[in-house]
Amino acid sequence: MMCLTRCSFAALALFSCGGVLHAQSGIEGTVVLTGRPMGPPPASHYGLNAGQVAASPKQLAVVYLEVPGAKKSPPAKPLLMVQSGYQFAPGVLAVQTGTQVVFPNNDSDYHNVFSFSKTKRFDLGRFRKDETPPALTFDKAGVVRLYCEIHQHMRGVILVLDTPHFAITDADGRYRLSGLPAGTWQLKAWLDEKTTIMQDVTVTPGKTLRVDFAGVRTASTR
Amino acid sequence: MIYASFFRMKHCLAFLLLVAPAWAVELLPRDWPVQASLSGRVDLESYLSDGAPPALLFSDDELFFNPRVSLFADVHLGSHWYAFAQARFDRGFDPGLNAGGKGRIDEYFLRWTPLDAPVINIQAGKFATVFGNWMQRHLAWDNPFITAPLAYENVLIMTDRTAPAGAGGFLGRRNRTDTKGSWLPVIWGPSYATGASVFGRIERFDYAFEIKNASLSSRPTAWRADEVGFNAPTYSGRLGFRPDAAWNLGISGSTGAYMIGEPTPGLPAGSERDDYQQSTLGFDVSYAHGHLQLWSEVILSRFEVPNVGNADTLSYFIEAKYKLTESLFAALRWNQQFFDTVPNGAGGSATWESRILRIDTAVGYRFNRSLQLKLQYSYGHESSPAENAEHLLATQLTWRF
Repeated sequence: MMCLTRCSFAALALFSCGGVLHAQSGIEGTVVLTGRPMGPPPASHYGLNAGQVAASPKQLAVVYLEVPGAKKSPPAKPLLMVQSGYQFAPGVLAVQTGTQVVFPNNDSDYHNVFSFSKTKRFDLGRFRKDETPPALTFDKAGVVRLYCEIHQHMRGVILVLDTPHFAITDADGRYRLSGLPAGTWQLKAWLDEKTTIMQDVTVTPGKTLRVDFAGVRTASTR
Repeated sequence: MIYASFFRMKHCLAFLLLVAPAWAVELLPRDWPVQASLSGRVDLESYLSDGAPPALLFSDDELFFNPRVSLFADVHLGSHWYAFAQARFDRGFDPGLNAGGKGRIDEYFLRWTPLDAPVINIQAGKFATVFGNWMQRHLAWDNPFITAPLAYENVLIMTDRTAPAGAGGFLGRRNRTDTKGSWLPVIWGPSYATGASVFGRIERFDYAFEIKNASLSSRPTAWRADEVGFNAPTYSGRLGFRPDAAWNLGISGSTGAYMIGEPTPGLPAGSERDDYQQSTLGFDVSYAHGHLQLWSEVILSRFEVPNVGNADTLSYFIEAKYKLTESLFAALRWNQQFFDTVPNGAGGSATWESRILRIDTAVGYRFNRSLQLKLQYSYGHESSPAENAEHLLATQLTWRF
């Protein structure tokens, strides 16, 4: 009885929510990744300015569905782009426009995160481990390349998107998007500024579509 | 002539900006065990002074244009072996030294890091000294200024080429304009002498020791092992302590023969160049937080001058850089150098050089990660009849790729 009541409430909740069909519509698949480290190996020509350096994060892809007018409120809490082991973690972060990001330093040395990207130009200055610079709001869509003025091997990227429907692949290139609106849209896999693979997809209510991006060798790029 | 070469360089730079990549050229894929990259820098510098150009500006012209192309090769073999080389094409290591233009390999070294942690590194080749804290920012992109602190470029009446006949001859140089072809500063720029070093970082402590073929004050030609051998080497070291991320404190020392030539002309009978040492002690401190960076060094150096005695000097600088925006920064440096007395050969003593004060100011603008423009004004004053120019205006456009 109790179980039946729960199911009824769940069904009621689903049907009363405008996103009910979205929740059951999705796209999953893979993107062929290069597997390349994002940054070069650390090379300090004059003296040492880092402790033990972690391996560079590998380049991942961001898969997103372009749905004109689709917008959700950005997360209430800022997202994190951490500096740890003298690397950015995660190496790739995707956010919806309007999202705030903070850059906490988990290393015992200073970092100085900056970007000269047209999308967002900033220099946070030097901050200790126990203090966090103010959150930055990314209010313009585009690519924000991140660097550290002190540790020149560090590389990170924030992809700012005008859609709430996006996912970052795992290291094997797998992704999954869920809660998508029904219709025919353009699905894009972003690998870097020169490589975005696109494919038209039709999202059907209640179904999960499989889309594999074969990588730059076979797909169209821009 | 100057303007013609400037416009040629301007067109070359515009062409390079259009066709070259924005960052290092990776010669091998990043996921290979051997990784090699080639990067570079183009510096267009101009210097304008109201008299004899100060410090290590070798040109006699009051307006001097100094273009420079630097190439950097980085090769990593796994995570334990690293090799680096820096080649430059310019009008001399110091502006005007080879006004007709010259190419050189200024730096090269092979570094072995036996452990995964940077506790110990062993390095051999021709590379910047471990002394002090200025070396880490001596390249154009990292240096808030265009010139170096006073101790690293103020030419003294000290020479490495011949021993003075006596105190009179030595002190008489004070009234002459700087003879940069034979006189020395306390530390000659980054001092890319040849040798080996061991350095590392253990928790909050840094250490670095090196043995080089030439002293801190030695001129660029002496840095080459085929010019000056290792029969009278220089030993240098630095111990550093970082109480936290903001502070870095260090103490440096160096001692070695500063005269060159086998035999050095004019040395007293029975003595060798190894008998006349340059011994230097340095204290450095740096602080940084937010957009502010501060550096300071106090450097005491003693030259054992043949037929004269010990000539001591003390120099210090305090340097500040503040980023006004993500692109614009301003910098200020206060430098002073003082000199002790030496016997004057007539039963008394005399100060062996004129004390000097120099204030350096600079503003810089970074257009992007590759292009930077700096403007520097320096005011220098020394109480000497052979005073150099008091005012120096310098510009430097740096493009790195």
